[in-house]
Amino acid sequence: MTHDPGSRGPSLRLVGKGESGGADQTASAARDIDWSILMARAQEGDRAAYRRLLQEITPYLRSLAARRHRDPGDVEDSVQDVLLTVHSIRQTYDPTRPFAPWLVAIANRRFIDRLRRQGRTRNREVPLTAEHETFCEPAANLEERPDGRELEGMVSHLPPAQQKAVRLLKLKELSLKEAAAMSGMSITSLKVNTHRALKSLRKMLLDRSEP
Amino acid sequence: MIKTPDLIASLAANATPVRRLRPPVMRAACWLLLAAVVLTLLAVNQGVRPDLVQRLQEPAFAVSMTAALLTGVLAAIAAFLVSLPDRSRLWALLPVPALMLWLSNVGYQCLTQWVAIGPEGMSFGEAARCFATLVLTGLPLSLAMLVMLRYAAPLRPTAATFMGSLAVAAITATALSLFHVIDATVMILMWNFGTAALFVGLAGLFGRRMFRWVAPRTLYARD
Repeated sequence: MTHDPGSRGPSLRLVGKGESGGADQTASAARDIDWSILMARAQEGDRAAYRRLLQEITPYLRSLAARRHRDPGDVEDSVQDVLLTVHSIRQTYDPTRPFAPWLVAIANRRFIDRLRRQGRTRNREVPLTAEHETFCEPAANLEERPDGRELEGMVSHLPPAQQKAVRLLKLKELSLKEAAAMSGMSITSLKVNTHRALKSLRKMLLDRSEP
Repeated sequence: MIKTPDLIASLAANATPVRRLRPPVMRAACWLLLAAVVLTLLAVNQGVRPDLVQRLQEPAFAVSMTAALLTGVLAAIAAFLVSLPDRSRLWALLPVPALMLWLSNVGYQCLTQWVAIGPEGMSFGEAARCFATLVLTGLPLSLAMLVMLRYAAPLRPTAATFMGSLAVAAITATALSLFHVIDATVMILMWNFGTAALFVGLAGLFGRRMFRWVAPRTLYARD
């Protein structure tokens, strides 16, 4: 008994090398018959047979799906899609016909559907990248405001103290306290400078737009 | 995201016994039987057109009608075959020869008898009755086809709807030429091509949505 497997192993392997195609074919034919029987029993309500069938076809489906999808998540999702489809249309299987073509036809439909859906999504949607984030720094967002450039030009004509006050309080929208801490000016002088700055800005902008 | 083994377990737990579908040709025969019943009822109700026997002796009319009927039968068979996953998609070509014969015959009649139509060739009352026949034939047949083909929804919805609507259209066109005097050429063209285009177009627009509506429930739950 101990001899038998040892002596048969190598000879089997030799035969297998020579006729691997034929051996594969008989193996897959036997597997197909197994699956047909399991599916026929599942159609009659045999849960154990159905569970065994689904467990056996899952690795096969995974290998089929891996040819179509690169992302492992997609592979698993499409395998589950196929399993759900098989479940919902298990009436359409005719046990007198081979099982594998039936399964592969369903699987291919599901894989192609998923690829198409992904293609449509890719055409319609753009993933957000770091560049699409917005910043509170006014320099980053200036382009979005229509008159931003012009206003910036006007502000730079003001005296330095007024410039600082208007930038901190109005453009960056800081509170008086924060602005005072940041600039080292007192709250009163910030208020005065802002008031003057706005007055002269108003004058400059009105002058420019009136004539 | 559910794990695949869990999914298998829950599917296996839901494995209630199902009734296998009958062979596609048999199901097509059932549908055609329904079509025959509808046509008979209409014939009893509306009465066959008075000159049917004479007209059937004219080769052009007979060929056109036979071809339409044949298109309906073949398209029905093709629809049920295409709706199964393991049958070749090429079955969709089955009704093509009959369809060609039908359409070319209608076109030929139009070419040769173009002059024959006068202003009195069509009347509004006749057109309205034609429309009634169209709806009475087309509606029950379409609904029956839709329900019978629901398992095709996850597989080849387009091919199956196309074949199904072609079958309905051909049967309806046959019904129209059985019951109504519509031999004025433009009327033939309008009703034959119009019916076909109407059903195929409606199927193209709403087929997928209708399929979703009757499709097996588990399918679209996750979309």
